[in-house]
Amino acid sequence: MPELIITKNIDAPGLDTLKGYRKRGGYKSLAKALKEYQPDDILEMVKKSGLRGRGGAGFPTGMKWGFLAKNQPRYLCCNCDESEPGTFKDRMLMEKNPHQLIEGVILTSYACRVSVAFIYVRGELALAGRQIERAIEEAYGAGLIGKNILGSGYDLEVIMHRGAGAYICGEESALMESLEGRRGYPRLKPPFPAAVGLYGGPTVINNCETLSTIPAIVKNGADWYASFGTEKSKGTRVFCLSGHVKKPGNYELPLGTPLRTLIYDEEYGGGILDDKQLKAIIPGGSSTFMLGADKVDTPLDFEAIAAAGSMLGSGGVVVIHEDTCIVGAALRMTEFYRDESCGKCTPCREGTYWLTEIYERLEHGRGKESDIDLLMDICDNISGKSFCPLGDAATSPITSSIKLFREEYEYHVRHGRCMVGDQHAQQETLLAGAQSVHAGAPAKEM
Amino acid sequence: MPEEKKDELVHLTIDDIPVAVPPGTLVWAAAREAGIEVPIYCYHPKMPPLGACRMCFVEIEKMPKPPQTACTTPVSEGMIVHTKTEKVLKARRGTLEFLLINHPLDCPICDKGGECDLQDFTLRHGPGGTRFDQPKRHYQKPIPVSDRVMLDRERCILCQRCTRFSSEISMDNGLVMISRGYKMEVGTAPDHAFDSIFSGNTVEICPVGALTATAYRFKARPWELKHIPSVCNNCSVGCNVRVDVRVDKIMRNMSRQNDAIDDGWLCDRGRWGFEYVNSPQRLRTPMIRRDGQLVAAAWEQAFYTIALRLSEITKKYGASAIGGIGSTRTTNEDAYLFQKLLRQVIGTPHVDHHHGYFPGLRDSMTGKPWMMTNSIAEIEQASHIVLIAADPYQRQPILDLRIKKAMKGGAKIYVVNVNETELDRFAVQKITLPQQGAGAVAKILLSTVVRQEEMKAPDEALRAKLLQEDALIRGHEEMLGSEVTAQLRELAHEIAEARGAIILYDEMATLEAGCEDLAADLQALAVVTGNIDRPGAGVGPLFEDANSLGARDMGLLPDALPGYNPAEDAGMTYAEMLSSLQLKALYVMGANPARHVEKLPDSLKLLIVQDIMLTETAQQADIVLPAVTFAEKDGSMTNIDHHVQAIRQALRPLPGAKADWEIFVEIARHMGIKWNYASSKEILREIAEENPFYAGLDWEELGAQGVRTQEQEVARA
Repeated sequence: MPELIITKNIDAPGLDTLKGYRKRGGYKSLAKALKEYQPDDILEMVKKSGLRGRGGAGFPTGMKWGFLAKNQPRYLCCNCDESEPGTFKDRMLMEKNPHQLIEGVILTSYACRVSVAFIYVRGELALAGRQIERAIEEAYGAGLIGKNILGSGYDLEVIMHRGAGAYICGEESALMESLEGRRGYPRLKPPFPAAVGLYGGPTVINNCETLSTIPAIVKNGADWYASFGTEKSKGTRVFCLSGHVKKPGNYELPLGTPLRTLIYDEEYGGGILDDKQLKAIIPGGSSTFMLGADKVDTPLDFEAIAAAGSMLGSGGVVVIHEDTCIVGAALRMTEFYRDESCGKCTPCREGTYWLTEIYERLEHGRGKESDIDLLMDICDNISGKSFCPLGDAATSPITSSIKLFREEYEYHVRHGRCMVGDQHAQQETLLAGAQSVHAGAPAKEM
Repeated sequence: MPEEKKDELVHLTIDDIPVAVPPGTLVWAAAREAGIEVPIYCYHPKMPPLGACRMCFVEIEKMPKPPQTACTTPVSEGMIVHTKTEKVLKARRGTLEFLLINHPLDCPICDKGGECDLQDFTLRHGPGGTRFDQPKRHYQKPIPVSDRVMLDRERCILCQRCTRFSSEISMDNGLVMISRGYKMEVGTAPDHAFDSIFSGNTVEICPVGALTATAYRFKARPWELKHIPSVCNNCSVGCNVRVDVRVDKIMRNMSRQNDAIDDGWLCDRGRWGFEYVNSPQRLRTPMIRRDGQLVAAAWEQAFYTIALRLSEITKKYGASAIGGIGSTRTTNEDAYLFQKLLRQVIGTPHVDHHHGYFPGLRDSMTGKPWMMTNSIAEIEQASHIVLIAADPYQRQPILDLRIKKAMKGGAKIYVVNVNETELDRFAVQKITLPQQGAGAVAKILLSTVVRQEEMKAPDEALRAKLLQEDALIRGHEEMLGSEVTAQLRELAHEIAEARGAIILYDEMATLEAGCEDLAADLQALAVVTGNIDRPGAGVGPLFEDANSLGARDMGLLPDALPGYNPAEDAGMTYAEMLSSLQLKALYVMGANPARHVEKLPDSLKLLIVQDIMLTETAQQADIVLPAVTFAEKDGSMTNIDHHVQAIRQALRPLPGAKADWEIFVEIARHMGIKWNYASSKEILREIAEENPFYAGLDWEELGAQGVRTQEQEVARA
């Protein structure tokens, strides 16, 4: 089993307390940093470590810090509004090891010369919020936050804020709007947060897992961290494995580990539920394109997953087995995006509504032959046309599932029911397969 | 702003048309310069870009992920923009199709039909049909959001112009977005009506028929309306309106954007306060009192009677037994001719109107006549805006928006008032006064600056005068209390140190007891602190009515001839005329002095009232003459910052009523003086020849947006 970095000792009792965290070496990185390093040293260290953002986009963390405009006041904002379907790593990190995050927040604030940091916790994560709140209190009590931290002369305030229940607030600019007390609407970019962010100040905004990684990098050095993972995707990631696997859960693995290991290895997923056939994988949360079962040997790193036609995203790996009707699965996801669209822009607001209406009728046996192409064209009118990436995200499950499983959609139109589990399906599949080949779509593996 | 030099322009091409625009211009605006329509819904030039409707797509070479939105992208040098590529056209079709899936398409009964951006852009940019064949979203329609505005959520395309107007421009959050996603809708805060005085602007900027005005619903189709450019008659700001008329009835007023004055907005009073024009209560015939009753009479009979009675009174008591009270809402031409009739034909010096108290014709320190020294637009450049006993939200609403705009630009607002005002919540400081404390405020502000040697323009005479008033000032301080006094001292210091302070007070506040020196002291304060005659600084009264300043300019004052030329013998003031027993005849034009006195003097043997309605004063008159409103005649008016603007005849005059100036010409004729004015334009020409504030002006020059004039040498013809 490879070395764990972020989830090391995660299940150790008492880790969530200041005492327990310190017992296992907690806040030593902070003490070391404040004593031995200048802020820029830490920035260089993080740049060199190759750490990339764990929120979804995978942007190099050190580079992001480096873009921060020089004017004050500037802010750090930790995005803990984890809401991407299939993702539940930040929740665990906050619930079980809140001080690791706090230490990361302090280190990052020091590196970025920030004196006020915010932690925006998804409102529904009640326990995580309480844990963070308590940890902040403990840290203030121990002089780890506040004035003159550990006698270094460095001052920092850390403020926790609970979200009010909107997926869109995980988008960094909508998060900042929400934090400032307005509707969770994404902001126009540019200006980017590094130039104009919270309260008009330059703002560095990082994901919970990203910041939880910082203490280990500071403690063990950039080279040590960079020794994990692949050439361009360094380090480890917490993959959230869910769906039709025997052992769903959070597993920390070095980047570049094949999907097959995560899904089938006894240490991790332990194989498909009921030993069924694998049908599809969503590799990085519901906003990423579905991959077919043939991609199961793809290494889990940014480049390889992109080459396979999707994104590593938030690390939420959703496994779909053969008994799943793909139309129903896509309907469920489309409904989610319809309900979570903030409504600011036309294509996302109206498009997700229309898409859901079409899926509803497909699902309930009232679909039309033309609906499938209509779905694709509506997606084309949303993707790249919406104000923020939520619109694009909403189309990912649809376009990828139609590309991979068009015959299931056609079956729904013709028979008014799911192909999966239908007794007539097998014969129909042969027919549909022949047609699909004709249409240039990939035939289904049986 | 200085004029852009040519080399400071950014050059780009749009559909192969070269365009040069100032830096920071949005691609949308640059395209408009090039004569290319890029359709927009959410964007409004007076508000920051939002980028929500996704209608204004263009393709810009070398930019990632085409298409881009033209309303959020600033131009850059060498940019190559295409507005009609296949990608762009498909994206626009896509957006329009999305907007229409839930739109009810109830165009036949929609007030917006015929002037609707959704109709027009669909015609020009949209798909011919829809692929949406499912049930549309339904709402109860329409629902009132206030007494004046109805909301149809089915028609709404959620462009958020109205809600952004509420948050960014009027800053009252009257309309807000509720819920999210496909359930999102426009609404008001729970249990609150959309009671903003600016609510009508949201109806005007709504690109579809979602917000409609109760006053206009189902009244007309847009193509039946005749549009006449005019000026609002409701307050001294003089906002530019387009009067929309159907069969000699005003249907609505729309903004006719004038950035120097109204910035493109109208208040609800200006937009909908035209009922009096269409009112059935209008006077349609002259009336003469017989046996105690006012009975209808022919015009000729009325003119004859007036001429006869006036000459009888002149013979018996002398012309100085006759007085005239003029109007602050009629045109310059009417006001000018009224005083000319009184002074030159009747021969009396008693001419006045209801106005604030200002010592002398001109301020003694600057020699300027009493008016705001800064322009409306300059308010935006001020660093400090000090409102003393002034409440623009109530009295000059569109100025309130300008002050808020200045505040967004960094200006600090100080409100000094007895009452609560709408601007209190935006003020860096609100100083609450006891009743009639405004005069004391001005005195303390001025004396603080003088005593603390913070004068930029030291004035020894002023210092000496204030020394004499020392006891008075101490009395003021005692009356206001130590806390308010300390706040005022701090404010005085702020004004002295300001990059640019604009000090404004309500004209009518000067009439309160203890406010005799208000105008003079505040003017002096501006002078000694250097807050006058430079951009972003100024002082002056906020006048009450549409032509309050014009009435002064025209010499409707007992001591001033037109152009503030001193009258040889000063006549009686407004208050004197209303109490003097020497006065035997009073001619009232467009005013209602009965409101200001318990009883008109018993000595009056003849009361002539010329008005549009039977006012309290008209009810007591011996002769009543029916006049026409601003909408039925041509003329000029002078607003609060001395913009001289043209009002244009929008309707045929109400049968039986006449323009004020026409009536004066007839009365003069009946008194043996022949005036050869064929139109109000000729009166304006005469004004321009004699009045240094109107020198060289003619009707054509007033154009669509008026002219802000300053005192200058009269160019005698």
